[in-house]
Amino acid sequence: MLKAQRLEEQPELAVEAKNLTKRFGKFVAVDHISLEIRRGENFGLLGPNGAGKTTTIRMITGVIKPSEGCVKVFGIDVAKERKKVLKYIGYMPQKFSLYEDLTVEENIRLYGRLQGLTGSLLKNRVKELLERFYLWEFRRRLAGKLSGGMKQRLALATALVHDPTLLILDEPTAGVDPPLRRKFWEHFRELNREGKTILVTTHYMDEAENCDRLALMNRGRIIAEGTPREIKRRALGGDLVEIVFEGDLDPAALPGVKSVMEDSSERYLLVVEDAGRDLPRIVKKAEELGAKILVASPMHVSLEEAFIRFMGESE
Amino acid sequence: MIELEEGIRKGLRIVPIVDKEIRQLVRDPKTILMVLLMPITVTILFGYGYGGKGAGKYPITVVNLDGGDGAFKFIQELRNSKMFQIKAIYKSKGQGFSSVYSGEVYASLIIPETFTEDLMRGRPTRVELYYDASNPTVAQMIMQAVGVVTQQFQEWAAARFGTFAITPMFYTVYGPEIKKIESFIPTLMAMILQMVPTSLISVSICREREKGTFEQFIMTPVSVFDIIFGKLAAYFLATISDAILSLFTAILLFDVKLKGTFLDMVIVSTVFLLNSLSLGLLISVFSRNQLQAYQASIFSFIIFMLFSGVFIPVDVLSSEAKLISSFVPMYYFVSAFRNVSLKGWDYLMVLDQLTVISMFTFAFLALSLRFLRMEVT
Repeated sequence: MLKAQRLEEQPELAVEAKNLTKRFGKFVAVDHISLEIRRGENFGLLGPNGAGKTTTIRMITGVIKPSEGCVKVFGIDVAKERKKVLKYIGYMPQKFSLYEDLTVEENIRLYGRLQGLTGSLLKNRVKELLERFYLWEFRRRLAGKLSGGMKQRLALATALVHDPTLLILDEPTAGVDPPLRRKFWEHFRELNREGKTILVTTHYMDEAENCDRLALMNRGRIIAEGTPREIKRRALGGDLVEIVFEGDLDPAALPGVKSVMEDSSERYLLVVEDAGRDLPRIVKKAEELGAKILVASPMHVSLEEAFIRFMGESE
Repeated sequence: MIELEEGIRKGLRIVPIVDKEIRQLVRDPKTILMVLLMPITVTILFGYGYGGKGAGKYPITVVNLDGGDGAFKFIQELRNSKMFQIKAIYKSKGQGFSSVYSGEVYASLIIPETFTEDLMRGRPTRVELYYDASNPTVAQMIMQAVGVVTQQFQEWAAARFGTFAITPMFYTVYGPEIKKIESFIPTLMAMILQMVPTSLISVSICREREKGTFEQFIMTPVSVFDIIFGKLAAYFLATISDAILSLFTAILLFDVKLKGTFLDMVIVSTVFLLNSLSLGLLISVFSRNQLQAYQASIFSFIIFMLFSGVFIPVDVLSSEAKLISSFVPMYYFVSAFRNVSLKGWDYLMVLDQLTVISMFTFAFLALSLRFLRMEVT
């Protein structure tokens, strides 16, 4: 009941950043970016190292002050009422930021207490998190003596101690080996299903495919925004299809074709308006023109390719 | 998780911070080294280095160039004063000087050739004291004592030979230091209560910044107040043992006889310890990294030592230096602790000094609260 009320009261946007700018001396780390992250979505901030992702995130959490612009988290202005915002945010910084000279359990307990949990509530919550993130048997180990993956799990557990509605994860999988990375993304999806909004930064393009929406950042600016599919379409100007045929044919003249990307006399990569609609039309038209279609299929475009295109355009 | 939401408590977060800090302190080998080992080591070094035996008497030598009855009578007076232990009587100035240079004695008193003759004829005469100026406190006491003895001798002589003057002349010689440990207890306590706590706490905030833990820490609803007072309380608990340990070491190992009561000494020490910790916190608030914090602690420590009256009595400093001293909390502590430990005053009698120290503490804390940024850089 309480929870339902809370949800209704809260606005549709989990994070709303307007004209966010951060200058360090003459260097502009983040340059007038605006972001809208909807409640319940898994939003990815994607970009190479030094693009300004961490600075953006730090302005959203309020641990650094923007030079310009403002951030609202669930409608609350971070600059003005930071303390009110904190209980909704669970934050996992890029660098391991827990106390290495405290044990796993002590770290979670400390953060639970700092968040205001006491008594059996605290005890149960700590136990629940230790079990959920497979840390129970390591609970008496000093955090400094954990492996990289375990440190990340501890950081995630600690970020969740006060059951925040918005989870902000800065490069949560940096330096984690691939099988563990996959496991982490399973955790994130699960948390997402529980109704938590997730803002995650990464420079692994394959991971970013898991996000509902993405913003591509480069040199302090957002160069593209949308779902992974939208971003790829925008990068190419449409969908990519592959056709292989025998016979005499000008692929550029086929219906829906916007451009020819690759031309190796037999095999063509074509950019079309919409693969689903245009492919059958292409096949039909080509056969009408007397060519024999051997292969006609939509091509997978990686985010990396799309990203490189956008970066090329922005420079 | 509705329960969780309702169960969240508002208000101060000091207790978990104190708990955390103490756990970290206990696990840090540096703490053990600084809090436990250093005070004991320093006390022992002081004890062996400066605890020179002499049953309350200052060792000196006498150079008797006169050899007459007057000189013998004067030496007798020096012995009778019970202030001096005459280690040797020489026939040449050179021997007297070298006894001071070598650090064997604090001073050498020279009785000139014509001393007895001058006395008999009622002529003004003099004695010369060559003292070790590297230890001004002791030097002053010796000068005073020589003055008193000369005065007494003059009265005796005046009655027998008529009115005349005997002037003690003072000359400085530098040599190694020899001191009595009792008079050094205030210095020792000042050093231990200033250096260890200040440098220990001075890295506490900037280490969190350097290691990145501060970023996670300030994502919780802790306030500036929680951080400053949480750390202050934890470090106080960890370092109060410093003061008590050093006192015990001095008392047990070196048979130091202090007139003050233990309680009074602990009260004065506590007031000063809180001051040292507050200064350390202020340093931590302004330091960018641990190295800077250590440097600032050591720098302030050197200034404090120089202007606190432990090396040179503040009375003999220039008026500018006196002005600096008045801004040095350690100066008030040394004076208060000296009165309590050596003269047996109770803490109420040094309330003025304690008030001044507390005002500095208050200022350091107010500045720390004002300037601690809940941000990362």
